[in-house]
Amino acid sequence: MHLELQYFLLLAAALFCIGIYGLITSRNAVRVLMSIELLLNSVNLNLMAFSNFLDPQEIKGQVFSVFVITVAAAEAAVGLAIVLSIYRNRETVDMEQFNLLKW
Amino acid sequence: MVQALIDTIWLVPCYALIGAISGLLWSPGVIRRTGPRPAGYINLLMTFLAFVHSLVTLQAIWNQPSQEITFTWLSAAGLDLNFPLEISVINVAAIALVTGLNLLAQIYAIGYMEMDWGWARFYALLGLFEAGMCALALCNSLFFSYVILEILTLGTYLLVGLWFSQPLVVTGARDAFLTKRVGDLIMLMPVIALYPLAGSWNFNDLAEWAKTADLDPTLAALLGLGLIAGPMGKCAQFPLHLWLDEAMEGPLPSTILRNSVVVATGAWVLIKLQPVLALSPIVSLALISIGGVTAVGASLIAIAQIDIKRALSYSVSTYMGLVFIAVGTQQDDAALLLILTHAIAMALLVMSVGGIIWNNITQDLTQLGGLWSRRPISGLAFLVGTLGLIAFPPLGSFWALLKLANGLWATQPWLVGLLLVVNGLTAFSLTRVFGLIFGGEPKSMTVRSPEAFWPLTFPMIVLAAFTLHLPLVLQSLSLLPSWATLNKDMALLLIWSSIFGCSLGGAIYLNKMWQKPVQLPWKPLQDLLAYDFYTAKIYRVSIVFSVALVSRFISAFDRYLVDGFVNFVGVASLFGGQSLKYSTSGQSQAYAMTIVMGIIVLGMLLYWRFFHAASPLFVALAQ
Repeated sequence: MHLELQYFLLLAAALFCIGIYGLITSRNAVRVLMSIELLLNSVNLNLMAFSNFLDPQEIKGQVFSVFVITVAAAEAAVGLAIVLSIYRNRETVDMEQFNLLKW
Repeated sequence: MVQALIDTIWLVPCYALIGAISGLLWSPGVIRRTGPRPAGYINLLMTFLAFVHSLVTLQAIWNQPSQEITFTWLSAAGLDLNFPLEISVINVAAIALVTGLNLLAQIYAIGYMEMDWGWARFYALLGLFEAGMCALALCNSLFFSYVILEILTLGTYLLVGLWFSQPLVVTGARDAFLTKRVGDLIMLMPVIALYPLAGSWNFNDLAEWAKTADLDPTLAALLGLGLIAGPMGKCAQFPLHLWLDEAMEGPLPSTILRNSVVVATGAWVLIKLQPVLALSPIVSLALISIGGVTAVGASLIAIAQIDIKRALSYSVSTYMGLVFIAVGTQQDDAALLLILTHAIAMALLVMSVGGIIWNNITQDLTQLGGLWSRRPISGLAFLVGTLGLIAFPPLGSFWALLKLANGLWATQPWLVGLLLVVNGLTAFSLTRVFGLIFGGEPKSMTVRSPEAFWPLTFPMIVLAAFTLHLPLVLQSLSLLPSWATLNKDMALLLIWSSIFGCSLGGAIYLNKMWQKPVQLPWKPLQDLLAYDFYTAKIYRVSIVFSVALVSRFISAFDRYLVDGFVNFVGVASLFGGQSLKYSTSGQSQAYAMTIVMGIIVLGMLLYWRFFHAASPLFVALAQ
């Protein structure tokens, strides 16, 4: 089997969908952050694949994914800090308990 | 000088209007100190002026051809509304009759309204009526006749409703207005429809047009039937007659006018429209049948009344029915003569009865009696009025009825029989009223009953004298056939019917042996007549009921369906807002879900074509 761009893209899309599924269905706030990491990783996979197959000379995609990883780390740090501060107030990380801002 | 009077005959209605308007100054709210009497005196003066003017003009215009004055009311594109005044002997004579009767009725009212503060309103309305009737008599245009008829309808409403603190007055005024209004309104349709056909509303032009008009018979019939609807309401003909009965709640001096002249306004227009009405035999038949039914029905009802004023008001309907018959058989002259003699005799009857009511308080015939020896003037006036109304030679109505009967004999002999029956019934009913008021023993209400004071008796005497002189006046003007050329058989028939009616009435009601109150062997029939064929009930279950039903339905339709639909839009948006706000669940995961769903749906929509094209592939894969 010869590796082709489509397979990478399909894998990344599947990963993205799994991430979305986890993002929407998880009750634990930390797991929601983990799903977001999945999403970002699927994006990274896309970037790497495109850079490998379509732009092997300048590999701008790889530069992009370096940035994404960096920003993802920062975002995860801020996200975990938010979760922590919510936890300090509410003493739970259950997403279904955070529905104060409704209608 | 004389020509100047003729040229200024249009001032006659204005005199009355000036009197009416200036009399209003003495309304209790304007001149608060000196009482309302000057209102009456001013109106009296103005009416006297009008009477003198019309009399002098009548003398001047005698044996002259009729003249016409035309005012332009307004000119619009394609329509010139002219107000033509016809100055002929008949018109001026009608004005003289109207102003003369008004003069007498206003003198009468000076006495009758003695204990009343509402002179300003009362005399203003009498003045309005006088002006309206004079203008109608002069007016030679169907359109403006209609305008005046409508103004008079409003006048009737206000005049009947003079003492509006009485509940029966309010309902009576309401019915008088609405009933006459319905007739007038139906009349408006053919008035409008006539203009494109005839091109003019001038009565002379209409008569000219009718001579050569070649109309579709249905159109002619509809036109005529609409045109008689107005006079039908005005003249209190069946089935639009209840208002006259209820209008008897109004003050008596106005009743004098209403019963004699006001109801004749409709007949006047009817007579002027006769050439147009003659276009269709159906209309003639309708006129004859309406008039015949009213004449017989109302004279029967009059016999069964116990209220004096109502016993007389039904006789008015009867005689207006005879006028309808006369117009239906194309006898204008007989109709005009009948209006003249009826007006004078009926005014005299109402005046006499008014004097009785004035100081015996009750109007109930069963509570009156034995007044002949103490009220000779009233009694004689009533007798003269009775004889002037029924066919009793040589007094007025005999000649009118004889003329009518002669004309009927040539075309529809069976109507002569009807005429004889009506004459006999009227003779009977008037004799009955006379017997119950003046004959018999005094009852508790009539034990002390002095003759009324001069303002009541003076006009009564003058009018009685005029009633007696009327045949002489007409004879000297050679308006009556001489005794030699008289149709003696017809005259004898009429006289016999009068004698039969009077003597039967006398035998029952002047006879002490006869048990009173008289009971018919069959009570329901007596009740049927006494309650006017239950007309009020018939109105209530037919027209009033259906109009009320329809208006209630429409009101409900408006309130629930129309309003409801608009309110539903508002309520639906409220409900929408209230219920859709729950889509903002507060769960950020749900928001993410919504975003994803949006993307998916949008993508599906955008790429639907490709899915569609690929569908055979899916089918193939599925297998």
